[in-house]
Amino acid sequence: MRRWGTFPVLLVVLALLSGLAGTGGAAPARGGTLTMVIGSDPPSLDPHRTPSVNIAHAVMYETLVTVDRRTGEFIPALAESWEISPDGTAITFKLRRGVKFHDGTPFNAAAVKATFDRLVSKETNAPGASWVGTLTRTDVVDDFTVRLVFSKPYAPIFSSLRISFLAILSPAAIAKMGADYGQNPVGTGPFRFKQWVPNDRIVYERNPDYAWGPAHYKNRGAPYVDQLIIRIIPDEATRVIAFERGDIDILPGAPARDARRMMRDGKFPFIQIPTTSGTYLGLNVKRAPVNDVRVRRAIGHAINTDEVARIALEGLAVPMMSPIAPTIWGYWDGVRQFALNHDVERSRALLAEAGYRPGPGGAMTKDGKPLEFTVWTYARMTNVRIAVVLQAQLRAAGIKLNIEQMEPATLLASTQRGEHDAILISYGWPDADILFYFFHSSRLPTTNRVHYVNPQVDKLLEDGQTTVDTAKRLEVYKQLQRVLLAEVPWVPLASELSVNFNQAYVQDIYYDKYGNLLLLDAVRTR
Amino acid sequence: MLRYVVRRLLHLVPVLLGISFLVFLLVHLVPGDPVRVMLADAGSPEQVERMRHQLGLDRPLHVQYVSFVVRAAQGDFGRSIHTRRPVAHEIGFRIPYTVRMAVAATLVAVAMGVVLGAIAAIHHQSPLDYGTMVVALAGVSLPNFWLGLVLILIFSLYLRWLPPAGADSWLHLILPAITLGTSSSAIIARLTRSSMLEVLRQDYVRTARAKGVGPRRLVYRHALKNAMIPVVSIVGMQFASLLGGAVIVETVFGWPGIGRLAVDAIFTRDIPVIQAVVLVAAVIFVFTNLLVDLLYGLLDPRIRYA
Repeated sequence: MRRWGTFPVLLVVLALLSGLAGTGGAAPARGGTLTMVIGSDPPSLDPHRTPSVNIAHAVMYETLVTVDRRTGEFIPALAESWEISPDGTAITFKLRRGVKFHDGTPFNAAAVKATFDRLVSKETNAPGASWVGTLTRTDVVDDFTVRLVFSKPYAPIFSSLRISFLAILSPAAIAKMGADYGQNPVGTGPFRFKQWVPNDRIVYERNPDYAWGPAHYKNRGAPYVDQLIIRIIPDEATRVIAFERGDIDILPGAPARDARRMMRDGKFPFIQIPTTSGTYLGLNVKRAPVNDVRVRRAIGHAINTDEVARIALEGLAVPMMSPIAPTIWGYWDGVRQFALNHDVERSRALLAEAGYRPGPGGAMTKDGKPLEFTVWTYARMTNVRIAVVLQAQLRAAGIKLNIEQMEPATLLASTQRGEHDAILISYGWPDADILFYFFHSSRLPTTNRVHYVNPQVDKLLEDGQTTVDTAKRLEVYKQLQRVLLAEVPWVPLASELSVNFNQAYVQDIYYDKYGNLLLLDAVRTR
Repeated sequence: MLRYVVRRLLHLVPVLLGISFLVFLLVHLVPGDPVRVMLADAGSPEQVERMRHQLGLDRPLHVQYVSFVVRAAQGDFGRSIHTRRPVAHEIGFRIPYTVRMAVAATLVAVAMGVVLGAIAAIHHQSPLDYGTMVVALAGVSLPNFWLGLVLILIFSLYLRWLPPAGADSWLHLILPAITLGTSSSAIIARLTRSSMLEVLRQDYVRTARAKGVGPRRLVYRHALKNAMIPVVSIVGMQFASLLGGAVIVETVFGWPGIGRLAVDAIFTRDIPVIQAVVLVAAVIFVFTNLLVDLLYGLLDPRIRYA
């Protein structure tokens, strides 16, 4: 049986998230510099020119809505309120007044329109343009009212609206800087951009005019710290040492082994939070031997995801029962009755059904050939460790797994050609709509890396996008999870936890449930 | 001499053309494409096609290559596909850091290497000789990432003398320079030793000794200078390769050098950056070698350039 060893811990952590810190009644200390660290430079500080969301954007830009760090509900940020039309094809936002961009220009409906027009324009070709779905145009209703109009309802829009891809940028700065905007970014956030030394650091300073922080902050004004530095240190070990030495104040996402050690030592405060990522074994349904659903199910039953989380990921992960990680909107707890439980007997029975017989050394064989397949993965330490654990588990069920490591761009190009039996990779997104990219037939052969085509699944994925009613939408994803667990194009493995350390003198920093660092209340007590 | 220099510089043209053509072919032969990396999972097939067109990647290969050569000849390397910064800026920004690191590492390498090599040669077949050569062997064998991390552990974490990462001050330069310099110093030490041994066996050394030249003067004045010719050429090679970037050391110490730029560019298939970095490295290599050849003349007046 698959157990949920870490899940209660997770819930406790979630519950504790909001209650963390709290410096008491005295006025918070002002001034000082906060330094945090990440592993690589963002390609650009222009959200329309980056393929992934990044903390370097999140600290200086703001979105129309955000998510409450305590409840996880959508709450106002740059928009004060919003209204969804009855047919779900238009959302009207009332905008906050008195907000200024870092360059002094006013934030208004025209700025929102300019930003979204730029995001979806063919000329910009923004990687994040897909996240606005069926958005056809943005209308300025009046100076502080803006309406997003969709060709058909696009239910995941709120999950997107809070992501820095959809942050509101200063149209004046874009016009002025042109192609160099990405190195001279202008937003409305609590910190404003100051300097970028590529591959070394990004420096921000306090935005003294800031007075429009979302309601989940205690601070109603500008940040308490004067300066924020994001250091870029590519080597994991050096990053940890720089933190332990005190050069770095905040270390988000410590590597699992160091995280375990530092949690044991208890020298530094930490916050452990779930992530919206999911790691899975994708099986190419067009390629023998995994083109046989019985073989895919047998593989699923041979895998023990508890062990994957506990051994390969140092216990800093939650086993996954569904392709949708438990932290992602759309996850359905009832999925456990359809999950591929670890059951080697069942696995062998399924293989027997598919014509395999135990051969020499316990290997399952058919027509004299042993059952074996090859998994491709990145040469990332955690992926390799997971692959090795899977190899051992599958061997116990008579299945031979070969592991091949590849550099990411090569892996993605080769899976497009369908030359792989299986891949081991991860995704991360807060909404179940992400599965559209991995299973819809229109995404062949690029992101539908398992080459899976099923009209029923196509329909469910489309319904998931167009069903605005939340309860009905959840039903759609329930159905989808059942189908995917029966057909097993993926064996879901684990969703990693993130352990975020900080120095004891840094107080009142929070992470929301998607792992975003919130710094408006942050103080440095020495 | 001037004619020699000009002729050597003219050699650069076919060298650069050849290298740029090879790199261009290689980048296009390797699977993976910059547009897919840039657009990530969400990019639709239409978006991919559009971006390809915007970047001119949908043109035939020979057209792309010719247009690259024509623009590069005018000093225009275009913009990086990944960061959209001008490539000249990406490289120009990092060159001072890379030069600083290469010079510091070379100084460490030469200081340690020549001294160790000379000591070993003078005390030939003594415990001192064997000891230094064991140290040299260890120096060549230690992987940079390991040595770097050990130095960080000792000097940054336990002793707290030096910062582990960054590039703000000369303090940040010490650990990476020692890490990089150690492996080169070992090579230089071995070369200095064998070259010195050879020189010490020469007739003129015996003559000098017979004339009553003191041991110190003999080594510094007569032997070492003449033993330096092969050493200078290897130092030049090492220096040139350091200028092309030292990926591992840059990664471990978070140093914003050319090496990391090159590797990041390869991972994202950022063709304009890869091309430009390779060309710059080639130019640096040719220039350093030329400089080394000119240095020979200073060390040995018998060498003439024609």
